[in-house]
Amino acid sequence: MKARISAGSRLLGNFVVLLLGITTLMFFALRAAGDPIIVMAGENAGPEMIAALRQQYGFDQPLLLQYLYYLGNVLKLDFGASLASGEAALPLVLSQLPATLLLAFLGMTVTLVVSVPVGAWLGARPDRASVRIVSAIVVFAQGLPGFVTALILIQIFVVQLMWLPSLGHADVRTWILPSLSLASFLAPKLIRVIAANVAEAMRQEYIRTARSIGSSAASILWREAFPNAILGTVALVSAQFAFLFAGAVIIEVLFLWPGIGLLLFESAQTLDFPVLQAITFVVAVLVFLVNTLSNLVFRRIDPRIGQAVS
Amino acid sequence: MSARANSVAGWWRRIFRRFGSLELLAGIALFAVILILILFRAQLQTHDPYVGDLYDRFSAMGVGGHLLGTDNLGRDVWSRLLEGIRWSISAAGLATVIAFLIGTVVGLVAAQVSGWVRTLLNQIVDMALAFPSLIIAIIIVAVVGRGFWPLTITLGLVSWPVFARVVYAETLSLLERDYVAASRAFGARRSAILLGHVLPGLRPTLTVVLAFHFADMLVAESALSFLGLGAPLGVPTWGNLLQESRDYLMVAPWLLIVPCAGIIYAVVTVNLIGDGLSSLARKRGLRIDL
Repeated sequence: MKARISAGSRLLGNFVVLLLGITTLMFFALRAAGDPIIVMAGENAGPEMIAALRQQYGFDQPLLLQYLYYLGNVLKLDFGASLASGEAALPLVLSQLPATLLLAFLGMTVTLVVSVPVGAWLGARPDRASVRIVSAIVVFAQGLPGFVTALILIQIFVVQLMWLPSLGHADVRTWILPSLSLASFLAPKLIRVIAANVAEAMRQEYIRTARSIGSSAASILWREAFPNAILGTVALVSAQFAFLFAGAVIIEVLFLWPGIGLLLFESAQTLDFPVLQAITFVVAVLVFLVNTLSNLVFRRIDPRIGQAVS
Repeated sequence: MSARANSVAGWWRRIFRRFGSLELLAGIALFAVILILILFRAQLQTHDPYVGDLYDRFSAMGVGGHLLGTDNLGRDVWSRLLEGIRWSISAAGLATVIAFLIGTVVGLVAAQVSGWVRTLLNQIVDMALAFPSLIIAIIIVAVVGRGFWPLTITLGLVSWPVFARVVYAETLSLLERDYVAASRAFGARRSAILLGHVLPGLRPTLTVVLAFHFADMLVAESALSFLGLGAPLGVPTWGNLLQESRDYLMVAPWLLIVPCAGIIYAVVTVNLIGDGLSSLARKRGLRIDL
């Protein structure tokens, strides 16, 4: 029980450091942009409006006070209104969140569907010639940046063959290329890790035992080796979340997928700071949730980990 | 005859032993090509990369003396590619060096100190690793503007935690080795242990991380430039070339293919070097977990 409380407080500590770090970074990014009020008010604002805004946001106060004031607003989940649309920033970001989560889910699903069988196959018989060739292809694929793959896919399937529509996410057919692009840069790494873990598991004693009592090759692979190999894989999948999200930004821009990434891109171009602050906040919360969740899953599949901690 | 064949085989074997792996050798050879293209850029360019001939727009590859065709303003793609390589490689390289320096210092400090400073540093590194750094990079670059230094410094500043994590873990394990304990018992100073044992011990791991990080930075640079947030307008880096190609996908697919091929070539090459270095380290009995 005590161990559980201390683990919980450590998680909470992580969360506080993350949010504090991100909000502080955003605060100073705003300062680096010059006078934040001028950025916020736009180019056409008159002196009275600037003075009024300055007072409204507390920018006539000393820097430290401003910082505390800003943190207070973040605590109240008040990020202000978007400079572009006038909508409240946080609800705007949250309204775009489902599309990003859908993309992440689709990308992850394709990645797992491809990586698990291919990785297990590569790991089960590492010495075969065909396995070597596929391994080489995987190493090569790992060098392909996701957005380059996306551009090539668009060129082939949308521009040349005209099989698929490319933009938006209303039509289910537009889901195919973005999720494939996302999977293309997640899968190679995952395949290599699964293959390495399966190969490692296949060398263990219990595999020899299973073989000696006459278990079939498939049963050995899927019932004995694979469950033991999946552990490192779960760790990687959660660690890849940051990677997944970063990749999603550029994929969303490419396919005009109406998620947080596209919003980030548009808001960065217009320096729409309330929205940018809300986005980094939401992403920080997501990162925390995913890490905590994967930690729990991790403990569930491998009871040794929970014990080692306590 | 057979003696000669033997000596050739022996020669190869010596090279292999020196470089340790086929991947490393291939990677270095392929990277040498990039360096040659950068060094002899002026001699290899067939046209002025910035000046086009409007009567010669969208020439296909190999037509009219244009090795890789021309773009929408009739500029020679081959010459532009060569012009941009130097920019992309040096931006990625410098960003890697910045991340390496900051990360190594933070990692070493975190491993040397104890108490709350260590906890805080580790927490910062943990969280920075979990947070998608590209998002921060996009925002910073949008604020400070395009350009070589803004981009390079930003990429370095958002990506150093990778090095900090590796250096921290490696240093802790090195400090527990018997030979370090022995030299400590002989009264060696902390600085002497650091310079004499820890830094040399970090080298194999760090070279591997450096290689992979360089590849990541190449991708990040091209991605940001492609988004219009990296290289200044007009500089023909891979990302900018890709950006410019987008409006002409139907008429001039080579405008897309050429920079794609450039990025893939460079990234695969650097990954080969990284893979080679890590298998070399494994052969020498070191374990590298990334």
